[in-house]
Amino acid sequence: MSEHDDAEQLQAPDEPAEARWKETLSALFANRLAAAGVVVLALLILSALLADVVAPYAFTDDDLTRRLEPPSAAHWFGTDELGRDVFSRVLFGARVSLQVGAVAVGISLVLGTLIGLISGYRGGWTDIVLMRAMDVLFSFPVVLLAIAIVAVLSPSLTNTMIAIGVVFTPIFARVVRGSVLSVREEVFVRASRSLGASDWRIISRHVLPNVAAPVIVQTSLSLAFAILTEAALSYLGIGVQPPRPAWGLMLLDAQGFIATGEWWMSIFPGLAIFITVASLNLVGDGLRDALDPKQRSIIQSRGVT
Amino acid sequence: MGRYVLRRTAQAAVALLGVSIVVFALIHLVPGDPVRTALGTRFDQDLYDALIARSGLDQPLLVQYWNWLTGALTGDLGVSFRTGEPITAALLQRLPATALLAVASLLVGLLIALPAGIISAVRQGKPVDYAASGFSQIGVSVPDFWFGLLLILVFARTLGWLPPSGYTSPLEDPVEAIRRLILPAVTAGVVTGAILTRFVRSSVLEAMSAEHVRLARAKGMPDRYILRHHVLRNAWIPVVTVTGLQLATLLGGIVVVEVVFAWPGVGRYALDSVVRRDYPALQGAVLLIAAGFLLINLLVDLLYAKLDPRISVS
Amino acid sequence: MRWRSPLALLALLALIAAACDGGEAVDVDDPTGEDVTDETVDDDPDPDDDVEEDAATGGTLIAAIGGDPDQLDPHTTTSSFAFTVLENVYDTLVQPGDDLTPEPALAESWETSDDLLTWTFTLRDGVTFHDGSALTADDVVASFERIAEEGQNAFRLDAVDSFAAPDDTTVVMELNRPAPNLLDQVGAFKGMAIVSAAAIEDGTVGDEPNGTGPFSFVSFSPGDNVVLEANPDYWGEGPFLDGIEFQVIPDESVKVTNLETGEVDWIDSVPPQQIDQLEADPDIEMSQVAGNDYWYLSLNNAREPFDDVDVRRAIAFALNIDDITEAANFDAATPNETAIPETSFWFLDYAPYGHDPDQAQALLDDAGVSDLTIDLMVTNEFPETVTAAQVIASQLGEVGIEVDIRIEDFSTWLAEQGDGNFDAFALGWLGNIDPDDFYYAQHHSEGVNNFQGFADDEVDELLDAAREETDEDARKALYDQAATRIVDLASYIYFYNPDILEAWSPEVQGYETRPDVATRFATTSLG
Repeated sequence: MSEHDDAEQLQAPDEPAEARWKETLSALFANRLAAAGVVVLALLILSALLADVVAPYAFTDDDLTRRLEPPSAAHWFGTDELGRDVFSRVLFGARVSLQVGAVAVGISLVLGTLIGLISGYRGGWTDIVLMRAMDVLFSFPVVLLAIAIVAVLSPSLTNTMIAIGVVFTPIFARVVRGSVLSVREEVFVRASRSLGASDWRIISRHVLPNVAAPVIVQTSLSLAFAILTEAALSYLGIGVQPPRPAWGLMLLDAQGFIATGEWWMSIFPGLAIFITVASLNLVGDGLRDALDPKQRSIIQSRGVT
Repeated sequence: MGRYVLRRTAQAAVALLGVSIVVFALIHLVPGDPVRTALGTRFDQDLYDALIARSGLDQPLLVQYWNWLTGALTGDLGVSFRTGEPITAALLQRLPATALLAVASLLVGLLIALPAGIISAVRQGKPVDYAASGFSQIGVSVPDFWFGLLLILVFARTLGWLPPSGYTSPLEDPVEAIRRLILPAVTAGVVTGAILTRFVRSSVLEAMSAEHVRLARAKGMPDRYILRHHVLRNAWIPVVTVTGLQLATLLGGIVVVEVVFAWPGVGRYALDSVVRRDYPALQGAVLLIAAGFLLINLLVDLLYAKLDPRISVS
Repeated sequence: MRWRSPLALLALLALIAAACDGGEAVDVDDPTGEDVTDETVDDDPDPDDDVEEDAATGGTLIAAIGGDPDQLDPHTTTSSFAFTVLENVYDTLVQPGDDLTPEPALAESWETSDDLLTWTFTLRDGVTFHDGSALTADDVVASFERIAEEGQNAFRLDAVDSFAAPDDTTVVMELNRPAPNLLDQVGAFKGMAIVSAAAIEDGTVGDEPNGTGPFSFVSFSPGDNVVLEANPDYWGEGPFLDGIEFQVIPDESVKVTNLETGEVDWIDSVPPQQIDQLEADPDIEMSQVAGNDYWYLSLNNAREPFDDVDVRRAIAFALNIDDITEAANFDAATPNETAIPETSFWFLDYAPYGHDPDQAQALLDDAGVSDLTIDLMVTNEFPETVTAAQVIASQLGEVGIEVDIRIEDFSTWLAEQGDGNFDAFALGWLGNIDPDDFYYAQHHSEGVNNFQGFADDEVDELLDAAREETDEDARKALYDQAATRIVDLASYIYFYNPDILEAWSPEVQGYETRPDVATRFATTSLG
């Protein structure tokens, strides 16, 4: 999406959108931690995209003559039980993690926004039914619900994305509905309505731009938690399946080699998860400070409360 | 207050009903046919029909749901596809291990969060505050299972201080039970502590900015006295609430930690059921955990309302 | 969990049936798994047993097993964990001796008629079940009739038309064809256990194990433990222990740790990568014995292009089984291009493939096959198949064959195998002794486990003839021919025979790891 599209879509009567976005970005980059998060994320995305070029080995390149070697100049992160280069697998793992995160959160973003919009804008019975349904999904511990969904769909990359997407939908629905409710009765919205503007026009011109800020913050924080959840599911053996190099899966393999001292197999994939999640959290916190004056904390947005 | 209790309880009951529908639907909408799968290579139509009939799978979905629900309400979650043992008994047998770990983790979390949160609030903007927020940033970003693996690597494998995994009942051997509890409880506790630290800090900060605290300060009362008598007295209510909610979260999220430490709890049972396609067992385990989750949430809300009467009004 | 061969999942049936039976009510107050020792006393069917302690010299052996027995009915279970326990509770008519040839057990002696179609077994005198009742020929007949009906091991009794008990100590079997391997079949493992006729009648075989073995059943808490106590009236040598507690410990590394810390005395498996570590440990006896199991890859002969023998052979040439073996087992397995391990009398020294990608490429080119993608089905129930699949994928990648690894849970895997929904699968057959176990069901065109759809008249004839051949050398010659052809036509592409790995504390005396994985603690003691 180009800058121009953004601006048009986000235009609200009393705020010059472009100025507001510039302000947000400069606020974000003024926060040094958040800026660091953005840089690390950019590097991660780059390495995920360019893994084929950057990685010294293919992620399936096994060679038993070099199995379980500690880190060295040839293998920065050592090799695993099939002699595969752990550094290369960590790079390719970034692709899996970011893909799962993006698609899963994309699903919950679209579904949740739709449900939240309809619920908040329509009100009445639609609202009650939709929100009670969201409450029910919300009544499950997150990881457990994801496990149950994957169990039913059978473990795979796609189903992991679907499960995580479903699990995070209620959070988005709630955030969006809350914002819609507060916007719905604003003077400019009522004015447009009285002028005979269509629902769609009101939603796209006035409501969406106003829910954008909390949704963006939520997206960033959900990405972090989605990646964490994917790693957990893969570690449990019911997420991404081998030979795809997911970080959680690499840790599952590594567990059998802790007793025999092959520490590098468990250190590096875990660090990769940690760094990715931490930078997303930092960016999320930064965006929240810049965009959302209500200071919803990371914890609230995770649905812990 | 009474009205609020009623309303909130009714809400929880409705949510639980919804949860039961979701759990039931999920598992009955499985693509493919669990009985066919269970029969494997020795498929035989007569046998298949007999099995379907005996397990009630030939009845309309609504009837099946009703039977399952009324069974569940009377404590009968059916029997496992795999072992043939009653699921309720199996879950009850594993519940103490999960409860022990959850409570111990919460204690670890509080041991970290209370001092860290209070000190960082009192010394706002000082190095100790940054250290605490750094810790909590790390805590919420670190994958708990990886943290567990690291602890095993360091404290069990390298230093040899603690057993790497496994569970001993405290009734059998309390010392060994505690030794085995430490690593998993710290694993789950650090993440919990990271989240709680933020809450404690912000609650204390909020309480410190209250009118009467500022007044007390202006009067020149000693800081310690103010902290104890004015700040903490007000700050503890939200903290208690969040602590309760964390317990509920732990109960649901502890499955991963149970797997890392080979902890024979309810979460592991659920996961084993997934791997073995033991749908009745999975159903039972998920329902139990979700019900516990709802129940704790309900109790916390009610407790909160009792502690802070403004809630039930609003 | 290991899969007893050659059986598909009939146990599941019994399981589900049992599940349906037991589904009426649940006693929530039942303290499952708690207070095992108290129950020991209460549940004892025969209080007299408690008085006689002479047979045992003491101590309870704590043995760790990797999973729950799915059930304790020897005739219907397929779980190796169940057999680890039941090995010590039940007896068979004859049993594999130290060299795996049949030796007397409940039957003291046997005779065959001249036409080889009538077998007469004489039972040992004075054998009693754990409940005190005497073992009679009726129990034997009832047991075999049940086995023949239950399906699980019915194929082992294929050759037998009828069982009769002319008197209390005589069992007569009438055969429909000569069966030189009958003893191997009726005594193969505890799946052929002799249970009491009364238990069959009452339907209590699975719930109240009542055997004639060195240990009697005390209690079973799923997910926790199985407790056995010494049978002072055991007919053979031993038992020297007071009892055995089998603790269920699913996690491999926990199992090893518990052995290291002395919480358990014996463990039923060792992760191959930890062999060196345990061997170096003076406080642990590590045991590594060549086993009779084998692991393999099979291609779906009913699908193109795997119906073409050249394509199957090309894949065999492309694979490097040394690497597959090492990847999946480190040093704890022996690569083998045939099924039967070299430690066996029936071993055939034949390895026509080696690792020859050029030959593979040439065969594929001749067959006109390019851009081949194989759907390879493996199961996380046996992680070695997942490891092997990844190595297979990269090896076949070298000759331009793409491999899609499909990982299924075991019951789905079995269903897919039964329905023929696969290009290829990898798995193992466990616990075989007689060559018929290795070949007939898998490679005869009418074999019950010939899921790959292999059909070759010559192999059929050889296998049929070998079944009935009574001269051992002639029989071996027939199996050698059959095996050669099976390997040449790549019905299975064999990988390796894994070693059996067990470990115990030096206190454990008189226990030996056996190639058939029978875990016999009769003569074991704690020193």
